[in-house]
Amino acid sequence: MSDEIIRRDPRAEWIARNRLHPLHDAMQQAGAAETRGPSGLIRRNPHAVGFIGPNGIKRIDRMNGNGPAVGGRRSAGAAKEVELPLHKVENPDYYVVVVPDMVGGRLSGHDRDVIGQAHKLIREGEGAGAVLAVVFGEHREEAFDKAGVDRLLNITGEAYEGYTPELRVAALEQVEKEYAPKYWLLPDSVAAGFEIGCRLAARIGERPATQAWQVSSDEAICRGAGGTTDITRKTPRLMLLAEECAEPIDETRHEVLPLELETSVSVQAVIQDCGQVAVDPNAIPLGEAEFILSAGNGVTDWNQFHQAAEALGATEGASRVAVDDGNMPRFRQVGATGTWVTARVYVAVGISGAVQHLQGIGQCDKVIAINTDVGCDMVKRAALSCIADSGEVMAELIRLANAYRQEVVENAA
Amino acid sequence: MQPDKQNANLRIAALVSVGKHPGSGRARRAEQDARAVEMGLAMAPQGLEVLHAGDPHAEALRAYAGMGLKKLRILQQGENADAVPALSQYLSETKPDIVLTGVRAESGESSGMMAYLLGEKLGMPVVTRIAEIVSIDNGQANLLQALPRGQRRALRVPLPFVASVDMAAATPRQSAFGPASRAEMEAKAADVEVLDEVQASWSEAPARKRPKRLKVVKAKTAADRFKAATAKSSGDGGKVLRDKPASEMAQAVFDLLLEEGVIR
Amino acid sequence: MILDWLLPVLISVALLLAVAGMLKRISLWRAGQPEKVSFFSGLMAMPRRYLVDLHHVVERDKYMSKTHVATAGGFVLSMVLILAVHLFGVENRWVNYALLGALVLMFVGALFVFKRRLNPPSRLSKGPWMRLPKSLLMFAVSFFIATLPAAGILPENFGGWVLAAVLAAGIVWGMGELLFGMGWGGPMKHAFAGSLHLAFHRRPERFGGGRSTGLKPVDLTAAKLGVEKPTDFKWNQLLGFDACVQCGKCEAMCPAFAAGQPLNPKKLIQDMVVGLAGGSDAKFAGSPYPGIEVGKAEGGPNKTITEGLVSPDTLWSCTTCRACVEECPMMIEHVDAIVDMRRFLTLEKGSTPNKGAEVLDNLIATDNPNGFNPGSRMNWAADQNLRVMKDVKEAEVLFWVSDGAFDMRSQRILRAFVKVLKAANVDFAVLGDEERDSGDVARRLGDDATFQSLAKRNIAAMSQYKFQRIVTTDPHAFHCLKNEYADFYPEGQKPDYEVLHHTTFINELVKAGALSLEEFKGGTVTYHDPCYLGRYNGEYDSPRELLNELGIEVAEMERSGFRSRCCGGGGGAPITDIPGERRIADMRMAEIKETGAELVAVGCQQCTAMLEGVVEPRAEVKDIAELVADALIEGDAPVSKKNGKQAKPNADKRVAEEIL
Repeated sequence: MSDEIIRRDPRAEWIARNRLHPLHDAMQQAGAAETRGPSGLIRRNPHAVGFIGPNGIKRIDRMNGNGPAVGGRRSAGAAKEVELPLHKVENPDYYVVVVPDMVGGRLSGHDRDVIGQAHKLIREGEGAGAVLAVVFGEHREEAFDKAGVDRLLNITGEAYEGYTPELRVAALEQVEKEYAPKYWLLPDSVAAGFEIGCRLAARIGERPATQAWQVSSDEAICRGAGGTTDITRKTPRLMLLAEECAEPIDETRHEVLPLELETSVSVQAVIQDCGQVAVDPNAIPLGEAEFILSAGNGVTDWNQFHQAAEALGATEGASRVAVDDGNMPRFRQVGATGTWVTARVYVAVGISGAVQHLQGIGQCDKVIAINTDVGCDMVKRAALSCIADSGEVMAELIRLANAYRQEVVENAA
Repeated sequence: MQPDKQNANLRIAALVSVGKHPGSGRARRAEQDARAVEMGLAMAPQGLEVLHAGDPHAEALRAYAGMGLKKLRILQQGENADAVPALSQYLSETKPDIVLTGVRAESGESSGMMAYLLGEKLGMPVVTRIAEIVSIDNGQANLLQALPRGQRRALRVPLPFVASVDMAAATPRQSAFGPASRAEMEAKAADVEVLDEVQASWSEAPARKRPKRLKVVKAKTAADRFKAATAKSSGDGGKVLRDKPASEMAQAVFDLLLEEGVIR
Repeated sequence: MILDWLLPVLISVALLLAVAGMLKRISLWRAGQPEKVSFFSGLMAMPRRYLVDLHHVVERDKYMSKTHVATAGGFVLSMVLILAVHLFGVENRWVNYALLGALVLMFVGALFVFKRRLNPPSRLSKGPWMRLPKSLLMFAVSFFIATLPAAGILPENFGGWVLAAVLAAGIVWGMGELLFGMGWGGPMKHAFAGSLHLAFHRRPERFGGGRSTGLKPVDLTAAKLGVEKPTDFKWNQLLGFDACVQCGKCEAMCPAFAAGQPLNPKKLIQDMVVGLAGGSDAKFAGSPYPGIEVGKAEGGPNKTITEGLVSPDTLWSCTTCRACVEECPMMIEHVDAIVDMRRFLTLEKGSTPNKGAEVLDNLIATDNPNGFNPGSRMNWAADQNLRVMKDVKEAEVLFWVSDGAFDMRSQRILRAFVKVLKAANVDFAVLGDEERDSGDVARRLGDDATFQSLAKRNIAAMSQYKFQRIVTTDPHAFHCLKNEYADFYPEGQKPDYEVLHHTTFINELVKAGALSLEEFKGGTVTYHDPCYLGRYNGEYDSPRELLNELGIEVAEMERSGFRSRCCGGGGGAPITDIPGERRIADMRMAEIKETGAELVAVGCQQCTAMLEGVVEPRAEVKDIAELVADALIEGDAPVSKKNGKQAKPNADKRVAEEIL
């Protein structure tokens, strides 16, 4: 909404009115439709008249008295997306290699942070360095340029699809030989970075900094002892970086020039990937679950509740009462006397929120309450509350989830 | 899995370290290492050797023994010694079929490199974050690897191999005081003791709290910045929907779920 | 007449057989572990223990008490006289009359036993116990008739050989039950084992009005920790099991049994008897463990108890509320036995069920059962400005905060109590982060190693400072500090402080006039006795007096005082969480509801948590400290009623608060 608001600049308007103001001419020049030509005649440039309205149609402001276009500047949002300046590295003195996780074929937030860190190291160091991203297999990322990738080495081939750590490390070893990067940076992530990084470090005999979260060209601060200590050490060549180690690139575009390995690598993998095993969200231990749909005293239709959990792909939880009444097994109990959960999203259906229960969900980020009682403690705790019959809301949620799934399937097809 | 005939001759080495409780900082049995021992006990209680490189008098080691071990093998070495040379030397002599470790130690550097360095030195394949050893047939092991959010991937790897055990593996059995206090700590000096010189140059301090990254909105106008700065607090203060059709409320809930990325 | 020679023979044979049986029984007990008892003084004290202490317990049921006095008294007296008359041939008319009188007494008693057995309540065991009144009657009648000729009431040779044969048969039956059965495991075994059990009781402090409730420490260097097999019990514990009369008073009081959890204290003791003698429980004729069939359990003196005799779930169902021990007329120590067996399961097998292992791990690693950072123990009191012992070194009262410090509900109780302490200007301090869990849960879960470690460290922390009294709001910590810590003081040292529960302490303060309280204005109030305050420590009066001070007339529940029912929160029961048909807390809340109370006053944070866990609508649950804090008339000093000047600002203040 605020994008549409015309911001007035009283100063500019005042200058426009005051022909004796020293800036008056300069101000009028910018984008003015009328200029005095070299012969002294007034020239009219019809293209410069008016401005582009919110619907993309040109509008002419007939109220000339209100001054020139400067007074009615549009906010950034309404403007066309700005073309960011292109950052070029012609002949890099060295490379900083980043191996992004590419979760789902795209750069993750963590990957972007790592690339940001790579640029930070280049800025701090001497000479012109380029960030080289090594990506395995087919990818779906379209914005490598905006993420800060100067060079892209995309190693493709069927062999690299799926879980192939050995092949990937062999290829990275080849990268090491051919490009001798100044730094190796990987995200210290469960997704892939940690494993690939460790394997590579062991292979090329580098001692990595792990869980590094503040890195300059001299010093790296890493989390040690299971995240309970900070180790400050000289910045090594290979680093596994924690999330949010540096700001991602967002003000420049980069070249994304493709590179290739001179020699292809061929290694026989010993570890055989037999594919992902389907896991029922309900089989996930409660303490580990990311998304919990939890039922309490207010739930009457248990079949519907189970359906809802299945449709949403949530792990089921329960309040103590629901467990005591025999509607849910004991190991599903959430709370101080049950399991302490760490879910990011916790949906409490018909749970009024006993102290013990609230203690048990203390670490949850987003709590959503569906309850009939607006005064209950769970509603006070929740980020979003629906004061309604839980059955109706759950029925709607099931419908929405199924519709969403349908849509996804159609889009994929 | 149940120990069966196939596993009778299986020899497993579980490497254990001294853990550290995240709250109190007190030494304890490390959670992942304990899972490694549990996995070993479940597969081959006879062929399991639990191995530690370091101080044989560390009390926390007793907690592993309390899981029902008759003895622990300890390669005695100084506090600042690197565990990898001693362990790889020992393991290259004993040649176990499976070497189990935790993913990351709870004390020290906790780099998580142990499994990989051993794999590299011993020339064994390394599998990461396993949740279960499903079966062993024809010299090949069928494993389940733990992926985030409770997902699993099936892997097949030939013996011998090194595996790091994830938190998703079976919870370790309770450590009982009686067996713990009676277990034998079979200590011998490590054959090789390499001082970790790199580590000596490091400085260590209790973890500082990391600032949470603010949602920096690079807005071009004051209005956008203002909106970005205020939008969060207004949306976070506990929105209450009432007296609206259920479909509308459900939509609001569903939108939030989508926004949080938990619907997949 | 035949009887003249037959009687002495029969009596002698029965006596010999009885003695043989007793010796065999004694050898079974002696298979247990050694335990020092004062042998002679125990034996000397036995009659008094029997006639006074035991009688006090039995006296709670007047009918049974009188019946037992008549029957047992009659039997003992007649047995002595029978020996005199029929074995040693004392020929004295008065002795004969005395014998007849004793037999009549016994007969009358036996008649009442008979009447009781016509329609016995479910808690009583059937089987051989149904036969007992008939045997008693037979014994009394047969000897009565057999003695009549000797007393000269009937002529010699009256009735001829037919009567003699009938009498002989009756006498054989009667003596078979009463003498032979006493040695060889019949119902009358209780008389023999019971009297020795009283003499060699493990807790002689319980006699003469004393109290002994603290658990006995485990020697952690022993080759086996806890009880695995019946022979791992102390010998006098085995003896105690044999004393059981299967009256089922324990069963009737057991909260776990009532909740349908697989525990029946009577059956447990009988299973121990099966274990010590070897065999199966097929002959057990009482109520089973809920949900477990009778007849499948088998055991022997050297067989692991939890493999085949008693299911571990049975042991873990106990809330250690001591209701069974309090009720037992034979003063058997059920809780000791259960904890002994739990110790083996936890310390040797590492099989504490459900959340048990986690809780114990947390206690070891963080000194609190939920694994909170031990450095955050004082966070609840950030706004309370409490004095910490580390700074002040000395205070009159040490306020033992307990693990309630980590629980948001319990913190309200703690705050209320601090408010009361401050209002009364008590010189108190807390240990702060130096305090650790009292070890109560660890100990009841069988982990004596962790308990001892916690206790020793707590003792070390306390002995740095000077204080006269410890006050705590947690009856479990209260019990440990008061009754169990003394065992763990370094040699030559003893606790030199008094331990008080907060209700006792506040009551003292009120009586001393250090607090001025308003009248309570709510509705009906009942009081729930916490087990660890009441049965464990005998504190029934202070809380009630305190409630009276607040102007509350306590509407007592049927089960209150020493018969109070557990809330279900003791002994680690919420942690081991053995499934039953009902929840103990729900049953207790139903009893609270029966009194029509709108509010139940408690004196324990565990009880508060359990009772508040009952689904609403239910009575409100408040700790007595909270009630007192709410009723405080605040001012600099207690206001005497005469002093109108001082009272006025207070009144104004209250008005101001109301306006606000």
